[in-house]
Amino acid sequence: MKRNWFRRFRGVRNRGINPQDFHVSQIKFYLLLLPLAAFMLLPILFIFSSAFKPSDELYAYPPRFFVVNPTLKNFTDLFSKMSSSGIPVSRYLFNSIVITLVAVVASILVSSAAAYALSKKRFKLKQTLFAVNTVALMFVPIAVTIPRFLVVERLHLLDTFWVHILPGLAMPVGLFLLKQFMDSVPNEIIEAAQIDGASDLQIYWRIILPMIRPAIATIAILTFQAAWNNAETSTLYVNTESLKTFAFYLSTLTTATTGANAVAGQGIAAAAALIMFLPNLIIFIVLQSQVMSTMSHSGLK
Amino acid sequence: MTSLRRRISLRLREALHGYGFIALWIAGFSLFTLVPLIETFRYSLHQVTVTAEGIRLDFTQWANYTRALFTDPNFIERVIGYAIETIVSVPIVLIFSMIIAIFLNLNFKFKGVFRTIFFLPVVITSGPVIRELTAQGATAAPGIANVPAVAEFLAQLPRTLRSPVEYLLTSFILILWFSGVQILIYLSSLQKVDKSIYEAAAIDGASAWEAYWKITLPSLSTANLVNAVYTVITLSHFSENKVIQYIYNQTYAVQGGIGYASAMAFLYFAVMVILLGIVYLFLAGQAKKERD
Repeated sequence: MKRNWFRRFRGVRNRGINPQDFHVSQIKFYLLLLPLAAFMLLPILFIFSSAFKPSDELYAYPPRFFVVNPTLKNFTDLFSKMSSSGIPVSRYLFNSIVITLVAVVASILVSSAAAYALSKKRFKLKQTLFAVNTVALMFVPIAVTIPRFLVVERLHLLDTFWVHILPGLAMPVGLFLLKQFMDSVPNEIIEAAQIDGASDLQIYWRIILPMIRPAIATIAILTFQAAWNNAETSTLYVNTESLKTFAFYLSTLTTATTGANAVAGQGIAAAAALIMFLPNLIIFIVLQSQVMSTMSHSGLK
Repeated sequence: MTSLRRRISLRLREALHGYGFIALWIAGFSLFTLVPLIETFRYSLHQVTVTAEGIRLDFTQWANYTRALFTDPNFIERVIGYAIETIVSVPIVLIFSMIIAIFLNLNFKFKGVFRTIFFLPVVITSGPVIRELTAQGATAAPGIANVPAVAEFLAQLPRTLRSPVEYLLTSFILILWFSGVQILIYLSSLQKVDKSIYEAAAIDGASAWEAYWKITLPSLSTANLVNAVYTVITLSHFSENKVIQYIYNQTYAVQGGIGYASAMAFLYFAVMVILLGIVYLFLAGQAKKERD
């Protein structure tokens, strides 16, 4: 009986490409990938475990990785702080959710349309535009904070809802990655569609977008993070408390407390970091199957 | 309408469609990125003072630049540190992500789970997570530079070699976390390689090793370039980057000011361009050969 069980994983059946099941020849991959995978998971575990650490463990020296006596005190502290402030938390949460959703969808549409033009259309300024984008990609974002503030002011966007969304729409990284992915979509498919009478809009919507789904999912993850974690816009451009975001709110809670009571502040910060991080992780898990779905269906052989 | 349609040449129509697709992006980009960028350059040539009425500019020519380059010891030191770190990190990120991508492209059970895990760095290196981690000192392999044998070894090295090696030892973990998107780009170009090429090579008697050097590596050359550029840029914009933090602090510092910070930003940008140039020289020749 034992022998049979063992032979199941040794025969020729699961060797080589497309195994249906575990095979002895696969052990070497697991040996290499398992430790590395564990290694990659460490920071996530760390975030989770430090959110549940009581304050003496947060300050323990040498620092401990895993929590020994998990406690919910950090969270109760955080929530009691929340209920004592003027504006309900749900208002900040609502702002953040709407802003993030609109920003992700709109920036994907804008960048992918631009990438389509840069990658597949022929016009004069094409090379220049891509070069300008690459230059902008390299420039330190914080150095343009003040001029950007002046632009926002001149456009009368200060203290409005739109200021959260508009400046982030034309994201240089997004255009860069999307264009690189679109370059690998074969031109023959587009030509075939043109012969069949498809308009540009149809080609973009029915052919290009579905084919670069992995790249779009990647950009979605990146924009989601940028929008969700953005506390800076609220600090710089928004005065009305009810237009600020959840990220900003959490950051005020933690900085306000670190000033007065550093020890409790650390615990609250750890709990807040976990709460801020969870949506990132969830979006990531939802979208990653798209990201990892194979790019190999080019439709041409 | 039809007469107008006929009068425009096909090429012009194609160009118009192209501009149509990109118009929205151009508007957003020039308003919120290009205009501020040009303004920043203007500031870098001025002494900028913020007054109650607005911003006052006093033209100072290149004074801000000479100050950053020749008088400020902190800036140059940080930039050199950054350049060394980037040059050390880029090959490691590329090699690591290529190896992982090649493994993940093989077939075995739970492949999907592993792919997810190795793409995770994308959510780790941005936002609150990395701040928390660096604050707790979790990015360094704990205390490895203080192990007596390692410290001894470091002391033996010539000065120019010591800082890169030390950096490597202390932030190895951090470097590996930068490889999420890179793994993805490698994976996608690996999957475009036609499987039958490998079969043909195997029939001709090529070993796996030979197939790697003659088939896999050349087909990854474009991805190499994209990844190298992406790595340099993410490393340079990383929020815990010392140069960026210095520029940020100087913006609001009394003796610094906006003009000085803008000048430093442009110098930093120039260094980045040089680094990208080096990367390009190394990898572009290879990529071009592949395309021909």
